[in-house]
Amino acid sequence: MSRTQKQFRTMVVRWLGIAVLIAAGAQVNAEPYLAAQMGLKCVQCHVNPTGGGMRSVFGNTFAQTQLAAKRIGAEEDLWTGQVMKFLSVGGNARANYSWEDVPNQAGTNEFDVEEARAYLDFGVIPNRLSVYIDQRFAPGDSTNLEANVRYWFKENAFYVKAGRMYLPFGYRFEDDNAFVRQLSGINMQAPDEGVEFGLESGSWSAQIALSNGAGGGPENDPGKQVVTRAEFVQSRWRAGVSLAYNDTDLGERTGAGAFAAFNLGPVTLLGEVDYFDDDSIGPDGTKLMATLAEADWKVAQGHNVKLTYEWLEPNDDIDEDEQTRTSVLYEWSPIQFVQVRAGVRVYDGIPQNDNQNRKQAFLQLHGFF
Amino acid sequence: MRVDFNNIMSAKGILLIPAMLVLAACTAGNGEGLDQNGQPIPIVPPVQSDFQEIQDTVFTPICTQCHIGANAPQGLRLDAANSYALLVNVASNEVPALLRVNPGNPDQSYIVQKISGTAAVGGRMPLGQAALPQDRIDLIRQWIAAGAPPASVAPDNLVVTSSIPASGEVASAGLDKLTVIFAGDVDATLAASGTFELRDGFDQPVTVAQARVPAGRPNVVELKLAHALGAGSYQLAVRGQGPVALADTAGHVLDGDADGSAGGDFLMSFDVSAGAQR
Repeated sequence: MSRTQKQFRTMVVRWLGIAVLIAAGAQVNAEPYLAAQMGLKCVQCHVNPTGGGMRSVFGNTFAQTQLAAKRIGAEEDLWTGQVMKFLSVGGNARANYSWEDVPNQAGTNEFDVEEARAYLDFGVIPNRLSVYIDQRFAPGDSTNLEANVRYWFKENAFYVKAGRMYLPFGYRFEDDNAFVRQLSGINMQAPDEGVEFGLESGSWSAQIALSNGAGGGPENDPGKQVVTRAEFVQSRWRAGVSLAYNDTDLGERTGAGAFAAFNLGPVTLLGEVDYFDDDSIGPDGTKLMATLAEADWKVAQGHNVKLTYEWLEPNDDIDEDEQTRTSVLYEWSPIQFVQVRAGVRVYDGIPQNDNQNRKQAFLQLHGFF
Repeated sequence: MRVDFNNIMSAKGILLIPAMLVLAACTAGNGEGLDQNGQPIPIVPPVQSDFQEIQDTVFTPICTQCHIGANAPQGLRLDAANSYALLVNVASNEVPALLRVNPGNPDQSYIVQKISGTAAVGGRMPLGQAALPQDRIDLIRQWIAAGAPPASVAPDNLVVTSSIPASGEVASAGLDKLTVIFAGDVDATLAASGTFELRDGFDQPVTVAQARVPAGRPNVVELKLAHALGAGSYQLAVRGQGPVALADTAGHVLDGDADGSAGGDFLMSFDVSAGAQR
């Protein structure tokens, strides 16, 4: 290849990256704080309109040009995820070294693979019809997490999705152990089968899903679960609400949540409050509540410090049973598609329960594409 | 980079900051009046058995963080009301060829594989936490090897089911109250300080200022100590024999030595640490 050709390709790739970012209206995502930091919707960076899983061309471009401290390799080798015209691929792998201290127990530490997942998106009718698969290969044998068909209507303002999917409720945090994700039971460990309708128009992002409501287990009653989420997104702030209703033979489960984020420049603040009235827990039902407050400080490109404070009320009818969880994390993205995460989490609960007063620390190598 | 203070001081920012402070202001509970699972100390607590112990020390405090209610993962609800029925002789959802609990066969029980990290599907339980202590895994294996019996029924005699602090526990400094929980309603007229004898590590008596059955909790006796306990070892005796023997409201004398017949003192030892411990 001549020098002129190389310069031309480099220039094309550079402008492609810039064009993709500008086309998004200076917005993004991957984790909710990134979306809030950039003023973007989830659909901007993920093929899944509600976030999580496979990244879009824009998401991959963002990961290479904006997220990492520096990009290595030839400039023309910009990974977009599209390996051929109708097929895109992606993946995530997280390897951990973790330490845990539970009062009155010997401390433990271990290496483990938190997850290794691969994504396939068959765009059989480009920008209209896709068949999407999210498969987990570790730990354990291969397990399907998502398998659905998605169809975008004209102008990409509406879509319908059917099959196995993550349900829309609140922020889709990477951390499935966040109290707000445990409380709702809607997280990336509990995909469900159903159908979802979505709106992505202007500043609005909204979804409504009808699913079995059996936590990914076999459906054994005629009742179904309805979950809906609506978010208004601006460049500096965003706010949304979620509602859930699950009609089961065990009882009705009704929930509501509110979430918001605010971009202060290098600091991004997120908050979520969820409340559930669950008749399927205990003889008289249980009312539960959880909150999350998060601050992300972009120290420099590729460096993020995350502070979170969570609060859980596991039974509103019982006093003095609340729990908290405080986390400090440092996320370093030295080069594209690589992230090193280190963190400490401190749980605080009733003194009688050792598990509610544990401490954790971890070091994680996260590779993705 | 600088924080955009103009943005902070905008109307939206002013609204958001107190909201974030509210979210950050909620604190953990102090556990007053609750058992180790965050529930009010029960009026008639279940009698300990292997399965009850598994429920109380594993399923309820750890697993039900997620495995509860209609949205429990894989439909597996591990609260006390549902765990046994959804575990024993029930096929696993992830590996249908295996039973969650196969009575008599711990190695062929999916729950053992999940908590041991050897299951074919998914991560080890509890997810995102350290493995269960080996003694808890062994307890579950033993319970399954013994045929996975359900929790046993309450005995006729009054027995102690638990205490705060628990036997063998290292309590925080400043402890000035002990709680003893029985499997039956205590005769409040017999709950006198002489029935409960506390001695320190030098076998010297520690004054119990008051022993009372609190209102609404007839199976509980609270012991108010004359002074907060200093660091050291202590032993509590609850009399099941002699003139000050404790009995329930039906006249059943305490089976303190848990030999299945009335009589015998209940003995429990614990330590108090020099500093705060949680």
